[in-house]
Amino acid sequence: MPGTLTSKRHVVADDADAVEFCHAQGWTDGLPVIPPTPDRVRAMLEAVRLDAQHAVTSIAHRAVTLTAEKVAINAVLAGCKPEYMPVVLAAIEGIGDPAWGYHGPGTSTGGAAVLIVVNGPVARDLDINAGDNLFGPGWRANATIGRAVRLVMRNVCGSRPGTLDRATLGHPGRLSYVIAENEGDSPWPPLHVERGFRPDQSAVTIMAAEAPHQFYNQLSNTAEGILTTLCDDMRISGNVVGQPEYLVILAGEHTRTMAQEGWTKAQIRQFIFDHTHNSLAHLKQTHRLAGAVQPGDEARLRPLVESPDDVLVIAAGGAAGAFSAYIPGWGSKRSSRAVTKEVRP
Amino acid sequence: MTELLDPTAEGAPQALSYAPRVASLTGKRLALVDNTKFNSDRLLQKIGDILRSQHGVGETHLWRKQTASVPIDEATIAEIRKTCDVMIAGIGD
Repeated sequence: MPGTLTSKRHVVADDADAVEFCHAQGWTDGLPVIPPTPDRVRAMLEAVRLDAQHAVTSIAHRAVTLTAEKVAINAVLAGCKPEYMPVVLAAIEGIGDPAWGYHGPGTSTGGAAVLIVVNGPVARDLDINAGDNLFGPGWRANATIGRAVRLVMRNVCGSRPGTLDRATLGHPGRLSYVIAENEGDSPWPPLHVERGFRPDQSAVTIMAAEAPHQFYNQLSNTAEGILTTLCDDMRISGNVVGQPEYLVILAGEHTRTMAQEGWTKAQIRQFIFDHTHNSLAHLKQTHRLAGAVQPGDEARLRPLVESPDDVLVIAAGGAAGAFSAYIPGWGSKRSSRAVTKEVRP
Repeated sequence: MTELLDPTAEGAPQALSYAPRVASLTGKRLALVDNTKFNSDRLLQKIGDILRSQHGVGETHLWRKQTASVPIDEATIAEIRKTCDVMIAGIGD
């Protein structure tokens, strides 16, 4: 079914040699890889019933077509199981979407990673972590799906650090930045349903994103109290004057407080929008905006994002602990927006 | 023996060439393409001023990209082709 594999072939003595060979070729992210043998690559393609030459997507500015074969090879390198391939493919479709705008997140000094939020049955089927240690290690699917995407960016699109990829700092999410929404314990409609899919469909939402910022509130037992702390953290975040989109991740304790008071995601978004404005005076005094402070600048307010809809909200993280998190996106809306792609079974 | 498949792009190389250089800037219409980064317009205008006063450039026109992280759009390129002879564009922070 996969058809002919046309990639250039290299021969090495054994698997151990192969790992060193892959490092030497510059194909890795620094961690050991699984050698991409033809059998392993075929297994990846068979899992998604695709011909090797099927064009998954293309990156116009890089003049490159991402074939199923190249995605499969990089998924093997990353340590994916074949059943992860539908999620990897959906994420690759995401980074090829002009609205996501590969050119910026794939090259910018801003150093965004590809944040991937998985929704729907596939997250449970593949054991994609939505709970304890949400952004930490320990789950193969979380660790390898995002790694496969980053290796495709490196090996196929050419986003190599120091050359096309000019991230000044980057962050650890660039190894893999995959989470699932905790739909089972969430009082809210899942993210992919908010973005137009059915609950029984699976989908990935892709956002160019900075690192997660954790915040703590164990004092308040009200939604407003918790969100006030969040907003105070968020207000000055995401580089110069904020980022175009944010993902807010509410973990177990905070989610239960919100649910007890009946807060909807829309109310949460609106509260965050309303309470993250900065005065022009503050932005100028802290050298985030150019120019001298003018009379009245204390009262002139600039919202962190253009609209409440620019704050994506999910339930995820451990059940215990009064922690939640927010993640600034990257760039501008004209440069990159979060996109959601179906994971086809 | 282990056989490995190459994970990198293997597209056929594309032939690219530079536009022909102009023999002289005298009287030429210069397009300046601002990439929207802070102060890039001021820097380009300064370059334009120097080229006008010291190298005989006839006139300068400033264009602005939509945003720094996307290429200049085709409509603007077409407009620049019609109205200018040479162009200076740059990227960077």
